[in-house]
Amino acid sequence: MVEPLRIIDFGRSSPLRSQTFWHAIAYGVSATERATLSFTRPGAPYVCLGYHRGIDEVDRDYCLENGLPLLRRMVGGGPVYLDADQLFFQICLPARAVPASSRQALRVLLEPAVTAFRAVGVPAVLDDDLEICADDRKICGHGAARIDDAVVVCGNLIESFDHERAARVLAFADPSQRDQTLALMRRFVSPTAVDPAAFQAAMISAYASALGLGPQAGGLTGAERRALVGLDERFTSDAWLAGPTRPAASRAGEPSARQVKVRAGVWTLGASYDGTQVAAGVVRGTIDQVRLQDRGLNGSTDRAERALTGIPLASVARVLAGFGDPGRRLAAAFATADPARL
Amino acid sequence: MGEASLVVVAGFTLALDRHYHPETHMWVLGTGPGRVRIGMDSLGIETSGTLAQLSFSPAGTELTAGRPFGQLEAAKFVGPLISPVSGTLLSVNEEVARDPGLAEQDPYGAGWLIEVSTSGTGVAPPPLLTEPAEITAWFTARIAHYRLNGLIAQ
Repeated sequence: MVEPLRIIDFGRSSPLRSQTFWHAIAYGVSATERATLSFTRPGAPYVCLGYHRGIDEVDRDYCLENGLPLLRRMVGGGPVYLDADQLFFQICLPARAVPASSRQALRVLLEPAVTAFRAVGVPAVLDDDLEICADDRKICGHGAARIDDAVVVCGNLIESFDHERAARVLAFADPSQRDQTLALMRRFVSPTAVDPAAFQAAMISAYASALGLGPQAGGLTGAERRALVGLDERFTSDAWLAGPTRPAASRAGEPSARQVKVRAGVWTLGASYDGTQVAAGVVRGTIDQVRLQDRGLNGSTDRAERALTGIPLASVARVLAGFGDPGRRLAAAFATADPARL
Repeated sequence: MGEASLVVVAGFTLALDRHYHPETHMWVLGTGPGRVRIGMDSLGIETSGTLAQLSFSPAGTELTAGRPFGQLEAAKFVGPLISPVSGTLLSVNEEVARDPGLAEQDPYGAGWLIEVSTSGTGVAPPPLLTEPAEITAWFTARIAHYRLNGLIAQ
């Protein structure tokens, strides 16, 4: 007899429940080992932080003024803007059924989603960076976590995407970095306007087939409902929202940096050091656009920006060496770039 | 750690001057009476992927063997760091929390994760591998297993 794949469709839910529902499932799967595929759609927009990310990465004043709740999830990734035009999905399996390597686990658990996108006519691929893309544009945000003895991978069908707002909710010291982030989001993040019901049906079919399980409609267990109540409390507490204790990214006197990932290989850098300021968009290791501020550049700012545009990030220090002391300060700011830690 | 205690097994470094928890790839090194330092071996780090973030429970937390003492994030995947021992968390490596790359570059040295007091726990010691020969055999077998299953490159 084929083992069941429990399917739960929560329909439209509050921002809070659009997170806590599936976290509760993870605790349930951890205890019962019942593989579960769930769906929900937030009834109102909000901003969601990855487990390790700082609240200071979000423009909280803007969120407050616009009635956008801020929640922290247990899975990874950066702060994201979420709204009712996104259908969330979550696949949750017992940890013993998932490869030990996180990359391998992600590949195995994202491939069926790619199959589902293709089934509804979207030419999706899972690229080497484990990003679900169509025509080189990211079409699905995802994150993953091991929670107790379960592994959960979540993602979304983005039916339409408010690029402007997705960039606006993020905090930037330099407005130029926000502009660059928005421009790159427009180029590299794309909605897929497909029938969500058809996509949902394709997801159920793809995951059941890939996992060798039989889909079976279900709901939360009593234990999951109790976990849900606890999660509702935890996710709305100040302590949870503050996140895990982290050391400051840079020490006093050292250059400080803000990196924002748009999709794998595409990101922006905002960095300052000794009165100098850099905002740069990077596309696959190459400077795509750049804005420089330094008191010593005088009339050379345009020339320096042109010299940097289109060159590999690795060549920045060499190019800036031709700009004297301002070049050295700018190079120190650029040296904060660490794409491996995006 | 002496140079002689660090060996390379099928492309992965292994320090033989400490004990290992075979399920979690955590190493345990005594640093004083009732005091140990904990880190992750090179194979555990490789299978985690490029570490983007590390976070730890605060000093003073009572740890239980087999339960998390922190979280790691790689490729947007958050997973627990499982303690190989019970005891009281004395300190965390702030440098590795600030720069998780340290754990990749020097997993047995500067990339250590936490220090724990194990005295007075009244808990039976966990099943750690303690002898260099058994550690090397286990490590060799894990590499072969992971390669066979495509979890690490050939």
